[in-house]
Amino acid sequence: MKISKFLLIIFFFTLNIQNSFSEDDKMSKGLEIFNEVAGCAGCHILKAAGSEGNVGPNLDTVSLTEDYVKEMVTYGLGVMPAYGEENILTKEQIDIVSFYVANTAGK
Amino acid sequence: MIEKIFIFIFLIFVFFGIVIIDLEDHMKKTKQKLNLNRRNFLSGTATLASLAATASIVPINISNANHKDGSKGLPSFINWKDRNALIVHSDKGIETHRSAIGESLITPNRNVYIRNNMPTMTDSQIGNRNNWKVSIEGVKNPKTFTLAQLKKLGHTTVATILQCSGNGRGFFEHKVRGSQWKTGAAACVFWTGVPVKVVVDACGGIDRDAVFMTSAGIDHEPTGLDPKKAMVERSVPKKVYQDAMLAWEMNGVPLPNAHGGPLRMVTPGYFGINNVKHLGKVAFTTKESSVKYMKSSYRISPIGKKGSQYPSCWEMPVKSWITRPTNETGTVKSGKVQIVGVAMGGTKKVRSVKVSIDGGKSWKRAKFIGPDLGKYAWRQFVLETTLSSGNYNIASLASNGSDKQPELRMENRRGYAHNGWKDHSVNITVV
Repeated sequence: MKISKFLLIIFFFTLNIQNSFSEDDKMSKGLEIFNEVAGCAGCHILKAAGSEGNVGPNLDTVSLTEDYVKEMVTYGLGVMPAYGEENILTKEQIDIVSFYVANTAGK
Repeated sequence: MIEKIFIFIFLIFVFFGIVIIDLEDHMKKTKQKLNLNRRNFLSGTATLASLAATASIVPINISNANHKDGSKGLPSFINWKDRNALIVHSDKGIETHRSAIGESLITPNRNVYIRNNMPTMTDSQIGNRNNWKVSIEGVKNPKTFTLAQLKKLGHTTVATILQCSGNGRGFFEHKVRGSQWKTGAAACVFWTGVPVKVVVDACGGIDRDAVFMTSAGIDHEPTGLDPKKAMVERSVPKKVYQDAMLAWEMNGVPLPNAHGGPLRMVTPGYFGINNVKHLGKVAFTTKESSVKYMKSSYRISPIGKKGSQYPSCWEMPVKSWITRPTNETGTVKSGKVQIVGVAMGGTKKVRSVKVSIDGGKSWKRAKFIGPDLGKYAWRQFVLETTLSSGNYNIASLASNGSDKQPELRMENRRGYAHNGWKDHSVNITVV
């Protein structure tokens, strides 16, 4: 009986790990898109990504919601390309990089 | 049996745990890879090829990264500004507090807002300021002048309002990208420089066919970005040249780099974007510039629509707002109160301002105070009144004789040119 309770705790604990797995996966892919696919690193400072671009806002100085980042990445602004409208990134890539930026900017 | 099932599930999750550790390792390697790429780029041996291929942009040199936080919580390139007077939206978008505008007719440099499309040029990129060059084209005898030569050519001082096209964007209710300015992306500034008309005369006059005055900055050059997408080149109607100037001083000091030094186009009565910073060229052209900042950006289009067929952000409309009292200035005590603000007429002289303390139900004419610095400067106004305890909505309504502020904003996609009085009103509590 005691073993059952112990394993039950382990079960729910590992369920949490499962969730963090998918989030970690998104963070990893988001970092890759930020640095190597979309080229965000060329224009933005973001400590978490090790980037030091200086054209757009310093992302370490702002707090952004995921929806706001999605909007910016999809439609662009000024010199920033409209990654969605111009089909530079897929919707899935935009979702992932937005998740990444929202979870690292201003931290 | 149940124990065995749990052990099986446990082993599966242990497996995934190993995968997670592996992913973290992968993330570290990705970050290291980028740092290696940057080091290679800086040493001139490699570029981020995928970056350039996908977005048509090139990584910039780390020496341009002059926007890290300064000691006072401001980016280092403007750490001489008054942090207490400013609202920091980002290191590229910094607004003046409503209450930090109206206590003086001229906005001190330390309080003036920041909105730069390109990174501010550094002293090393600018070099000797007197050797800065600007070419004049679309004239009978095209010439290139150094700043030192311009200073010998002519001299004038003008007060104008510098206002971002998106000032007031923060009041729009639809999702508008960009800095959420309320009232503080505006300033009234003394510029010193040479009238464009004098420069044009020195070049034998404007080409007969010219329709526009097109000004181009060179602040995109150090970034290596595609000029079609990054160059700030703005065309305005040719007539603007008659009052325009090439400015090298701002409020009595050499034009700070952060505000476009050492030389900037000043287009009185026109939105800030047309006052091109780090000016490298002025051309009198038959067509509008084809760069992104002219063709598609800064267009006042209906929500959900965009395109070069819509009006560009050119002439500023008549506008005013209260600067004191506000909720920023603390609790208001009952009794005599001075309601203070600023009013502008756009390209015409502002003629009158009315103030309401009841949300626009009734209005009283306010008094202009301070010197009149010309039609392109704003006027301070004051209404002395007596308020008893309670809640008030205070609004101001300016007129330039032919136009007056509307009650409501003109809805548009990017939140430009807002001059509706209702959104700009303030709610105060008198105790």
